[in-house]
Formats: sequence, C-alpha cells, structure tokens
Amino acid sequence: MSTATTTDSKDLAPVSAESLAALLVSGERPPRPSALSASLTFGWRAVLKIKHVPEQLFDVTAFPIMMVLMYTYLFGGALAGSPKEYIQFLLPGILVMSVVMITMYTGVSVNTDIEKGVFDRFRSLPIWRPSTMVGYLLGDALRYTIASLVMLTVGMIIGYRPDGGVGGVLAGVALLVAFSFAFSWVWTMFGLLLRSEKSVMGVSMMVLFPLTFLSNIFVDPKTMPGWLQAFVNNSPITHLSSAVRELMAGDWPADEIAWSLGWAGLFVLVFGPITMRLYNRK
Amino acid sequence: MTSTTLTRESGTSYTLSGNALAWWFSDVWQMTLRNVRHVLRSPELVMFSLVQPVMFILLFTYVFGGAIDVGGERYAQFLLPGILVQMALYGSAAGTTIGVAAEMHEGLMDRFRSMPMSRTAVLIGRTLSEIFRNVGVAGVTVGVGLLVGFRFRNGLVPALAGLLLLLLFGYAVSWFATYLGLLVRNAEAAQAVGGVWIFPFTLISSAFVPTGTMPGWLEAYAAHSPMTAAVNALRALFTGGPATSYVLQTVAWSVGLIAVFAPLAVRKYGSR
Repeated sequence: MSTATTTDSKDLAPVSAESLAALLVSGERPPRPSALSASLTFGWRAVLKIKHVPEQLFDVTAFPIMMVLMYTYLFGGALAGSPKEYIQFLLPGILVMSVVMITMYTGVSVNTDIEKGVFDRFRSLPIWRPSTMVGYLLGDALRYTIASLVMLTVGMIIGYRPDGGVGGVLAGVALLVAFSFAFSWVWTMFGLLLRSEKSVMGVSMMVLFPLTFLSNIFVDPKTMPGWLQAFVNNSPITHLSSAVRELMAGDWPADEIAWSLGWAGLFVLVFGPITMRLYNRK
Repeated sequence: MTSTTLTRESGTSYTLSGNALAWWFSDVWQMTLRNVRHVLRSPELVMFSLVQPVMFILLFTYVFGGAIDVGGERYAQFLLPGILVQMALYGSAAGTTIGVAAEMHEGLMDRFRSMPMSRTAVLIGRTLSEIFRNVGVAGVTVGVGLLVGFRFRNGLVPALAGLLLLLLFGYAVSWFATYLGLLVRNAEAAQAVGGVWIFPFTLISSAFVPTGTMPGWLEAYAAHSPMTAAVNALRALFTGGPATSYVLQTVAWSVGLIAVFAPLAVRKYGSR
C-alpha cells in the first residue's frame, strides 16, 4: 500500500515568476578567465596528474640517474681516460638528452586525453583555446626542471663541478627548459595527429634517438667522419648542448644561445599553429 | 615400433610409443611455426627487429668509433660481436617475456591447455621460434657490419660455430624470459620487467668498450658477466685469438640457464 503525501498550497508562500527568474538566472555572468589564468589552471591540472600517477616521475628520476651513471662509468674510461674527466664534458650533454627525450610524453598525454574524451569537454568551456595545450607544456616544464635537478645532484655526487657556479647552472637549466617547452609543440602535434599513444611513442623515439645521439652530447664531433660532422655541427641539439655546457662552465656563448633560441622560436612558430589547427578540427 | 617406458615418482609406469613421440614433435613444430607466423604477420615487429641492429651499428661505429680506442683494431671489428649478442638477447628476452605474458593475459594459453597436445610443446615452440627470429636478425646485423668494415678473419668454420653459439645463448636466455613472462600479470608489467634487466645486462659488458677501461668495481662484474663471455667468444671465433675458455663459459651458462629455467617455466605453466 502506498501513501501519497499532499501539501496544501495555502501553506506555501506565493512565488512570483519574476523573483523565481531572478533566483535561477544570475544577473551577471562570471568573468571569462584570462588566457594566463586558463593556461595556469591547465598547468596545475598537469601537475596534479603527476600527484595521482606518480609512476610518471620514473622518467624524470630513475631514467636520468641510470643514464648519468651508465655513460659516465661505462664509457668514461674509453672516451676520456677516466670517468672523473668525462663527467665534466658529459653531464650538461646528458642533461640535454634526458630532458629533450622526455618532451615526447607531452604528446602521449595529449593523445591519452583525446582517447578518454576529456578534450571534448574542454572545448565546450568558454576559455582561450590554446590554454589546454599551453597548460600541458607548463606542467611538463616542471617535470623538465625536476629532471634537471635530479641529474645535477647525481652529477655533483659523482664529481661534476660547474665552474659557472649557481648562476651558470641556473642559466643553463633555464635555456634547456625554454627550448624543451618549444620543442614539446612538435609532440603535441603528433599527439593530435596519431591514433594511439604507442604510435606517438614510436614516432617520437624514431626522431629523438638519432637526433640526440647524432650530436656533441657524448663525443667531440671532430672524432666523427666528415659527412657526419656536417649534420652534427648544425643540429639544434648540438647548439643547445654546447650552450648549456658553456653556460655551466662559466662562459657566455652568445652564438650558441642565439641558435638554441632561434630553433626554439622556429618550433613554436611552425608547430604551434599546426597543433592549434588540428586541435580545432578534432 | 620403438617405445619408451617412463616411471613416475609414485612408481606407476607408462609407455610412450614412437607414435606419441611423433605427436610430441609435431606439437612442438606446429607451435614453433605458429609463433614464427605471428612475428612475420606483425610488420612493426619485423621492422623493429631489423631496424634496431642497423641503427645501433651505424650509431656506435660512426658516433663513438672514432673516440674509442680498441687497441689499433677497427671499431666495427670490435663492435659487431657485441651487437649480435645484444640483439639476440633483446629479442629473446624482452620479446619473449612480453609475448608470453600477453598470451597468458589474453587467455590464449588456457585454450592451448584445453587442447589434446603436449604442454611442454607450447613453451618449447615459443623458445624455438626465437631461434628463427635470431637467424634473421643476425643476417641483417652481419650484412650491415660487412658494409661498415667488419670481416670474418678466422675462416668459415669458426664463423659458423660463432653464429651457432649465438643461437644457443639466445635460446637459453629465452627460457629465462619465458619464466619471467609466466610470473608477471600482463604485457605492461612484462615490458617493465623485461626492459629493466636487459638494458644494463647487455651494456655492462665487453660489447661496446673493453672492460679494462671501466672502474675496478664495475670491471669486476663486467669481466665475469655471461654477456661478456658470449661476446668475447664470438670475437675470438670471428677475428681470431684464444676462444676455448670463452666458448666453454658460454656453453656452460647456456646449459645452466636451460637446465634451471626450462623445468621452472614448464612447472609454472602447468600450475597457472
């Protein structure tokens, strides 16, 4: 048996249509967030993802540590006479390599969010369109900084001594993070372009592996064959590696810094618009 | 018709006829072919298996070759045996671990277990298929090696002996990898487990640089690593030099790995 509860209408205060409308529809819309505010919010989202998926930090901690130790002790004796001497040359280069390598995870994250359908929800928000992408890159900039700090700490423990002091190291890391931020736009494009995260990782490894090895990260290009030197000496990674190495050594390599920033600007100018066009068409 | 009598621990004995042995060989062969076909029908697997050795040879020969002193020898001559062993292990170890784990996770192994076929055949077929893959990879590796300056200086017979030793060592490691694949839950975990040990195992050896250039504590491990034994054995067989000790060490490691991990893997497969 069911009992129906009835309320006598005379018990309720009369409600006018106007007062109800005023209650339901606020007179003023909340202000639209600025481009900076939206980007920082999405950047914070990327940071929170690290908190909830701490395995992400493996790539910015364990992997760089393994690289530093392995190359220093395995190849140090053969390439420079001793690991102690080699670490002075290697550390800035391996720092560049590790940070540039982890830029590909930006593309992987973008691709994963597209697969989950999160991007469709973001697109329905009244925000500056590129803020989602910029947010990813800002979050990743934090990861690049963590990776740099981890590697510098390990390097210092095993004998690396930057003659440039704190200022030189900070300048080198700042240049590296700025370049990586720009370079990440390449992978956001691939993240939007390719179907699966495995494809994104596959393509990025095919580009990054030769690009980082065919540089002056591990050895002086003078020891390479002439035809290879021609490529290596003009590679963006070589310019970046030289700039970071010299900044940390206390020099101010204006031409190498200019080349690195020039390449960074080119990556943003070319891949930024392509990424946004793909994002808007998704 | 020949027959073999087997006695169980309980004391009961049963006869395995020649016909049953033939069935067992047939099961093993079918499972081997199945795994070989599976690789051939995955273009990305074939591409990766063939591109990886090419990339490693070119990279190390031209990027590091001019800077690493290997006692007046051409670096390509020093490098190739190391790349051969490394590539054989990358496939046998990482590939097998992931493959076995994926098939367990997908329930394919359960279907094999429900079939009227030998249980050991499933795993033996898996490990034997790695020999076929390694033959292909070794062919490509040697081909590229010859292009960058490597030469078999010790004659045809030692060269073939070296390649057979390589296949044996790869086969032995694939049993260890099979056991690992049966231990983990899924392909993702297998990828992590398979990749974590193989990377340092292959690099901390005489594959890329002479162990004498490493710090004392690292040299102590590298000099006695099974990887170093296999690389040095191939180097001696291909280029010339005292090979007996290294060959015996490699054979001992291979037989030991098979003797330990083949029964463990079969037992684990039966209990899962």
